[in-house]
Amino acid sequence: MIRFDDVTKSYLTGIDALAHITLEIDRGEFVFLVGASGSGKTTFLRLLLREETPDSGSIWVAGRDIGRLAPARIPYLRRNLGCVFQDFRLLPNKTVAENVAFALEVIGRPRGVIKTQVTQVLDLVGLGQKMDRRPHELSGGEQQRVAIARAFVNRPLVLLADEPTGNLDPATSSGIMKLLERINKTGTTVLMATHDVGIVDEMRRRVIQLEHGYMVRDQARGIYGDASDTRVRGYSSIGVGAVSGDDDDLVSMPRRQVRPRRGRR
Amino acid sequence: MAVSFDYVAKETAANLWRNRVMALAAVLTVAVSLSLVGTALLLRQVVNRQISQWSNNVSLQVFMNSNATSQQLSEIRVLISQEPQITTCTYLDHKASYLQARQVLAGEPTALEALTPAITPTVFRCQLQSANDAPAVAAIFNGVPGVFQGHAQFPAQSVRTMQRITNILQVVLLAIAIVLLVSSLVLILNAIRMAIFARRREVSVMKLVGATNWFIRIPFMLEGLVQGLVGAVVAAGIVLLSNVGVNYLVRRYLSSSTLPLGQLILTEVVVVLIGVVVGVVGSTIAVRRFLDV
Repeated sequence: MIRFDDVTKSYLTGIDALAHITLEIDRGEFVFLVGASGSGKTTFLRLLLREETPDSGSIWVAGRDIGRLAPARIPYLRRNLGCVFQDFRLLPNKTVAENVAFALEVIGRPRGVIKTQVTQVLDLVGLGQKMDRRPHELSGGEQQRVAIARAFVNRPLVLLADEPTGNLDPATSSGIMKLLERINKTGTTVLMATHDVGIVDEMRRRVIQLEHGYMVRDQARGIYGDASDTRVRGYSSIGVGAVSGDDDDLVSMPRRQVRPRRGRR
Repeated sequence: MAVSFDYVAKETAANLWRNRVMALAAVLTVAVSLSLVGTALLLRQVVNRQISQWSNNVSLQVFMNSNATSQQLSEIRVLISQEPQITTCTYLDHKASYLQARQVLAGEPTALEALTPAITPTVFRCQLQSANDAPAVAAIFNGVPGVFQGHAQFPAQSVRTMQRITNILQVVLLAIAIVLLVSSLVLILNAIRMAIFARRREVSVMKLVGATNWFIRIPFMLEGLVQGLVGAVVAAGIVLLSNVGVNYLVRRYLSSSTLPLGQLILTEVVVVLIGVVVGVVGSTIAVRRFLDV
């Protein structure tokens, strides 16, 4: 589904945002992308969307080398990649239903199809009753559900989520995670960049950890902080999100299996 | 391309309304500049018609010496028949020429008294095909034995004056029009830039969910086209009015007939086309520069 082949990307500062990333994500996987701010998570997602192109290496999505995609074909790539962000990015002057419908309108879907699909996906995210509200009338969690509905309404192959719970309280976040899990169960690959230790630790899904542009961990059923890595442990102890225990607890945690390249779950 | 007409029309109308002050400024500038262009075009056509009419009235007079022999007269007749520029020719003998001269000199009794039929030069009055060659044709007869003077008689002075004045007027009008056209282009460009800025959220969402580049661009480009077109239609109305004024002047001061409908329609079409081009070019530049898709 997604394959990175020795991908390097650096910005004008000369610092590698991503360095020699090689990995593969299969159809239907649920993957967490973790790492400190500036570790390359966002660059990773931007490369996938082809908002950036790699300096070297190649990226394959659904069997296509997206680096060699003609500019006119990029929109069609993005139709296969649903996107959710920390700041929701809803249109304030449109209702919930219109926000979701907008995603289908602008790719030229017929009106009848739009109506049924919008109703369907809003029921899926649990907002069937609030179709005619505007975003500012909704809570943060509800707004994020609208954003997920918009990203998913076109049934993309992959759902990319850039810190989708970053602005939400833990209870709301867990609701969002349940929704993402449900979407994942339909066969959609979910790739989620996050700082939320609690969520990663609880879900026990594949974890890819980036640090200064390098992939330092790729672990099936991983947790946020790897006990073998003191830097990450220290980071966890700062207590972003729901951290359980103190430093000593983390030190005493059993070593997790570390594999540079992972096999099947 | 699956760009639904509904969607584009809706978006364009919404954009125009949101940016109505800028849009109005752009439309008015287009209207003013294009009415100048249109009026300049009308003026030019009217003047050209008048000049060509005058050109048809050009005549050549070959004055003979009063003592010219009949053989010299027939040589002149041969020369005249050989000259392709000359269409018709009549010969005024002493008596006819004398009668004509009396008319011309009616206000000058002393000159009139001195004139007798016998000393009045006989004259060939010829019509020429065009005014341009009149001096050259006249020169052919100068110096031929028996000829007193070949004289091209055409309203040269007034034609030249009129041409000069209208040329200056046209250059001035067109210069103003070009300046205004450039500024309307810039205004349209700016209006579209503002529209793009006002809709940057929509645009970023559209890019994210995979709207094609043309789908994103078209409403903005159409907005520029509408601004140019509306301005041009207003200008077409103004040109219609100025045509009424020009017609009045033609009837009052000139001998040519008023502009035919065909030429008027052609002028209006040119005006509208220029408006459309300005709108499309302005919005295309704006979309290229400010909408990075």
